[in-house]
Amino acid sequence: MSEVLAFQQVSKSYPASAGGVREVLRRVDLRVDGGRVVALVGRSGSGKSTLLHLAAGIDAPTSGEVRLLGRELGALTDGERTRIRRDAVGLVFQFFHLLPHLPVLDNVLVPALVAGDAPGPAEARARDLLERIGLGGRERDPVQKLSGGEMQRVAICRALLRRPRLLLADEPTGNLDEESGERVMELLLRLAREEGSALLYATHSREVSELADEIWLVHAGAVEPLARALEPA
Amino acid sequence: MISYAARAVAARLRAAPGLFALAVLGVALGVGAVLSIQLLNANALAAFRGTVRAVSGDAALSIVPVAASLDEALLGKVLPQRGVAAAQPLVRVEVALADRAAGGLDVLGVDLLSPRAGPSALSGVDLAEALGTPGWIAVSRRGAERMGWSVGSRVAASAGSRRVELVVGAIADFDRVAPGASARLALMDIAQAQALLGERGRLQQIDVRAADGTDVADLAHRLSDAIGPAARVVTPEQRQSEAEGLLSAFRLNLTALSAVSLLVGGFLVHATMQAALVRRREELGVLRCLGATRGQVLGVILADAALLGLAGTALGIPLGTWAARASVGAVSGTLRNLYLLEGIDEVRTSPGMIALAVAVGLAGAIAGALLPALDVARRDPRALLASLTLEEPAAARRVRHAAAALAIPAAVAALILGLAPEWKPGGFVVALSILAAVPLAAPALVAASAWGPRPRTLSVAYGARTLRAHLRATALAAGALGVAAAMLAAITVMVGSFRATVEDWLGSTLRADVYVTTLSWRRGRGEAGLDDEIVRRLAARPEVRRVDRLRQVPARSRGQRITVSGFDSGVAAEQGGRVQLVSGERASALREVAREGAALVSEPLARKRGLRVGDRLPVDTPAGEALLPIAGVYADYGSESGAALVDLDRTLPRLFGRGPVTNVALELAPGADVDAAVDRLRRELSGEALLIRSNRALRADVMAIFDQTFAVTRLLQLMTLLIAVAGVLLALLVLARERQAEIALYRALGAERGQIFRLFLGRALGIAGCGLVLGAAGGAGLALVLVRIVNPAWFGWTLALHWPWAALASEAIVLLAAAALASIYPAARASAAPATELSRDAL
Repeated sequence: MSEVLAFQQVSKSYPASAGGVREVLRRVDLRVDGGRVVALVGRSGSGKSTLLHLAAGIDAPTSGEVRLLGRELGALTDGERTRIRRDAVGLVFQFFHLLPHLPVLDNVLVPALVAGDAPGPAEARARDLLERIGLGGRERDPVQKLSGGEMQRVAICRALLRRPRLLLADEPTGNLDEESGERVMELLLRLAREEGSALLYATHSREVSELADEIWLVHAGAVEPLARALEPA
Repeated sequence: MISYAARAVAARLRAAPGLFALAVLGVALGVGAVLSIQLLNANALAAFRGTVRAVSGDAALSIVPVAASLDEALLGKVLPQRGVAAAQPLVRVEVALADRAAGGLDVLGVDLLSPRAGPSALSGVDLAEALGTPGWIAVSRRGAERMGWSVGSRVAASAGSRRVELVVGAIADFDRVAPGASARLALMDIAQAQALLGERGRLQQIDVRAADGTDVADLAHRLSDAIGPAARVVTPEQRQSEAEGLLSAFRLNLTALSAVSLLVGGFLVHATMQAALVRRREELGVLRCLGATRGQVLGVILADAALLGLAGTALGIPLGTWAARASVGAVSGTLRNLYLLEGIDEVRTSPGMIALAVAVGLAGAIAGALLPALDVARRDPRALLASLTLEEPAAARRVRHAAAALAIPAAVAALILGLAPEWKPGGFVVALSILAAVPLAAPALVAASAWGPRPRTLSVAYGARTLRAHLRATALAAGALGVAAAMLAAITVMVGSFRATVEDWLGSTLRADVYVTTLSWRRGRGEAGLDDEIVRRLAARPEVRRVDRLRQVPARSRGQRITVSGFDSGVAAEQGGRVQLVSGERASALREVAREGAALVSEPLARKRGLRVGDRLPVDTPAGEALLPIAGVYADYGSESGAALVDLDRTLPRLFGRGPVTNVALELAPGADVDAAVDRLRRELSGEALLIRSNRALRADVMAIFDQTFAVTRLLQLMTLLIAVAGVLLALLVLARERQAEIALYRALGAERGQIFRLFLGRALGIAGCGLVLGAAGGAGLALVLVRIVNPAWFGWTLALHWPWAALASEAIVLLAAAALASIYPAARASAAPATELSRDAL
């Protein structure tokens, strides 16, 4: 299978408030192939979100290489990184980040708006996605009227609108109750597989992580396959 | 609580210095506008008061002529009166300097031997030299500095058509005895003044000093009885009050205009406080949970606003002083040319003015903050802690506000025009209701701007069409801009209408080819006339087909200053020019003027005094009050205080005695080259002090004075516009700040920096577009009120409504460009925001 995302010896540190630096990720190696579902598990503050930000080109590594669809993100300008994110990456956030002043359909259409896609096909695609996640007929509803689970389903439609090669989801069930979380994960995995998108998601839930093809543990800045992490030292 | 408020303000300043600075700028510009106008108003009156004091010293009473001058024999009737300690005769002559641009001197002929006359400002003068040197004058210190004169300087000048040479013999320190006195004042020996500049045996004033213990009112009565109707007795206070009355409309209009700047500044404070309170709601909620009362919360917020007001005032005071100083030339020109009063030489501030500025700044800031402060203070702690976003106005409220925006001005206009059409302030009340309607209509208009399909790319158009999503901030900015644009448009239309009307008026009344007068005719009194010989020489020239003469006499009518002019009514009847009647039948009116001693009254005089054709105009003459039948009302835009025209040869001498004409209009033979004729006349009459202008040059001079009159208005417009553009900048900064998470989301979803930049540019243009629509609607209404109600009521002028489309279009373009410029900083700031700013609880 072809490589979609690869981290090679990636480190990321931030200036610490008391001076010095705080190393969040340390020499990370990670590869996500097309169509694969990869889970990142780890405690809060372990560096999962930072890793996803680096994967999306939102943030830049302190050292090492992040390769997305064969292109080294560090070698790209901000504009090029933005365009590759726009065209190849879909993002799902823990807190949904829907725009409160837009109705459901328009929220799903925001990536098309940003990319300047032709409105007709984009709208048809958005309606199709909403239909597939069970929100057909609620296109004009204000997003504030949706439940948490429904909001995250809308956010998943938004992430998939432009058929990204890579879906990145940061704690997609972290703000939902157990039942809603399960249904959202089920939908996310189903849609990712149907669309042929690779999915890299972060979670602190063992149950949610077990839905993935591969599980990586993020701990104290290091990232390694969970199986290896569980091996006795 | 006070120390808490202080710490909170400091924290807010550190967190958002830009927003604070913009609000401070808004207050500063508003305070500056108000202060500059009040300074100009106060200094105009101070200049008049100072000049009266410099001229008359501590005289309790002044005797002034009802027309041009007094017979000096009158002194003999004044001195014997019981209670008169001293009576000082004064000659006062307007002298034009040969350098026309330098203006003129107000020469006082005084008895230099008298210790209590004007010379109290003089010291160390060699009296023998002063009396013996022809043309000896003492000039003011500031006048000498301005003109580069020193003792011994020789000054070429003229009085009427006589050329004279003056010699600077001394520098008088008028400021020491009368602060604010005109720098144009100069002293001369009275006998020299009569001989060189005035008329032998004639005076312009007698100042009376009352003996200790004298009842001044009683003395005034007795003097009035003694001197008869040729003169009137006035106190310095009466003269001051007359000047205030003359200037009342001018001062009120400028004050109203400056208040609009303050109003727009208040919007900025409102927007800033609203944005700050969104961020502080949680903090205030915690305070309330911990036991702070609503009053304490209100106090904390208003203390914040007061600090903002004080900071704005601190900046506004130097700004206002600068604006006043920058406008002195234009205002002085208006005072001198239009009102024939003293100009302002120097702008002086006073503790009272500083106190006014502080009061205005504080009141404006607190008024701007009051609504958001009350809104937050009335909420319970739970509500404050629950929501961290602004509640956008509900659709129903928007509709109610829009309905009120239409209903309020309509109702106010109907009430005032229906019930009290003669009530002078009515126009201002209607104007205020229109200005209030503009921001009320803003939310509905901004919401309506989103109608139709939404643009499908993150572009300028998208930014402009999605203002509705952030209605509170954008509607406020659009409303503020709308008020400023309405004022800008209304003043432009009013000035354009005025200009077009004056041009039409000049076109129909200035029919002659060449106009001849003296350099000092405009401010001159009886002495600024043309010698009869000059008039005869002009009439005898071969290229001159007809001569039309005018003699202007300053007069009074029932306590009001007017100008009575004698004109060749026969020539006017033949020629068709000179007068444009707005009431009365032209041929019969001119016939009545020529044969029956009737008068034509100017429109401002007729309107202010309620005079109509068939009524009688009372005019004070040396022989007592004359009642002139009114044969017509004519259009006149040259004088606000009022004027009347009578026949030059029959009526005017009957009223005021014989005297020189002041202006001559020459109609040349058909085909004559006007410019060549003007050059020839100037050459041949170079020995006389004359102002010879072609019809075209005269019109250009009149229009230059017209434009000068509205220079201050332009400055006020500019200040208001600056505040409004600062409002756009502020709204965008608030959006960039409050919507950081939204912008970060766009960036996370792949929006390029350029797209975010264009989004903000679109928002600025959208706000400006809404402001322009509101401004156009409000401006049209305001323009109608100014042209149709305020001008006739306050100034007495009827103006033809004229829409200067080109000027209005260029103002709209400037406004859009200014808004686009204002968007650059917030747009750059927003577009630089990284996607990692997407905080967990945002959106």
